[in-house]
Amino acid sequence: MANAPTIEQVSALVGAPVARIEALSGGASSATYAVDAVRSDGPPWPLILQCAATGSVPEGGLPRRDQALLQQRMFDAGLPVARVVRILKAEDGLGEGYVMERLPGEALAPKWLKLPQYQAARAGLTAQVAGVLARLHAQPIASVADLRLPVASTAEALARMFANYRRFGVDSPVFDLAFAWLRERVTDRPASAIVHGDFRSGNFLISEHGLEAVLDWELAHLGDPHEDLGWLCCNAWRFGVWDKPVGGFGDREALYSAYEAAGGAPVDRAATRLWEVWGTLKWGIACLQLGDDHVSGRLRSVERAAIGRRVSEVELDLMHIFAKGDV
Amino acid sequence: MAEQIEATALIEAVQLFLSELEGELKGRRAFHAKVAQNALAIVARELAQAPQAREQALLAGVLGHQGSLDGLRAELCGRLRSGTIGETTPGLVDALLQVALARCAVDNPRYATFRRLAS
Repeated sequence: MANAPTIEQVSALVGAPVARIEALSGGASSATYAVDAVRSDGPPWPLILQCAATGSVPEGGLPRRDQALLQQRMFDAGLPVARVVRILKAEDGLGEGYVMERLPGEALAPKWLKLPQYQAARAGLTAQVAGVLARLHAQPIASVADLRLPVASTAEALARMFANYRRFGVDSPVFDLAFAWLRERVTDRPASAIVHGDFRSGNFLISEHGLEAVLDWELAHLGDPHEDLGWLCCNAWRFGVWDKPVGGFGDREALYSAYEAAGGAPVDRAATRLWEVWGTLKWGIACLQLGDDHVSGRLRSVERAAIGRRVSEVELDLMHIFAKGDV
Repeated sequence: MAEQIEATALIEAVQLFLSELEGELKGRRAFHAKVAQNALAIVARELAQAPQAREQALLAGVLGHQGSLDGLRAELCGRLRSGTIGETTPGLVDALLQVALARCAVDNPRYATFRRLAS
């Protein structure tokens, strides 16, 4: 792991005095720091520094410079995202990364999904997130042509996900049934829109007024816009509020109609339900991958080992869908 | 009893130790102490419930012959990949639902989908 950034380094980066740096999280590939800077005219300037702990980003992820540029363009297009302050350069010595403004709000979904002070925020959230997706998917692909966003048709993406599953040498009959189920139903659609790729309740910053920002653009790519609508409804992001399929706070039909009302293309209901199965399977393979971090020795940790056992939750969700048509 | 301190007693003792330790830890370490206690709870449930035996019997039922659990899983996955078995194969979906229930009962019996199906 690269050395933690010093106050002097970060102060030089943002061109302002820095009072405090706090490590928020550290993973196999990235590190996030809260930075308390001070503006030249006096008021506090809360920032986030995100950099690659190992100096590089994981395979398949968006290079951090491109992630920052995408985020900045979405900010300029009026989407609720944090403004990018500075993109790291090689001579900064902190690996790939960038500094962005730290917005107020609650990022822990189990909190804002349950606490009473967020009730009004939850009530308006389905329409808000539908509006964000409609605007995101309406951005012309040409506006990001210079960024290295991964591109895949649905058939190519499914083949890649299967290859990823097979990397771990695990035989899960439920996962193989899910792949067969999807191959039977997925029609090959070309990549037609900018897709956030991880649009779920755990990546929303929520205040008592509602949505403040959509976080974590690392998995953005060009694909089928239905992917974001389906992923948002996967059971794993409902945090136990299973009877509100949209992230634990809303209903599917309200999401689809708000998306269309906000200028989104007509929603193919059956396609979004396929993407829910796809997303559930994708999360299951992510659990295998996180468990493999421990098993392979890449990142030996009780947390990674325990996440490997969450495969069972995914298998049960998939079988619930196959046996009962829904979850 | 054959052992004064059985495996389950050791698990409980380590869980107790971790819960004492948790109060002295902060941030990530405290979180990992909690995760470690949950991991031991999984081990205790796995010892008590032996879900592999149930899975082995269910998969043998689908395939129509006995075998090791790893062998049965590999064969079933291979046949699902080649398409000689699929969602319309009688008994397959129900058997895999039962397998998933048995596994989730060990790994996370508080999971919403498990509670919906178990109630």
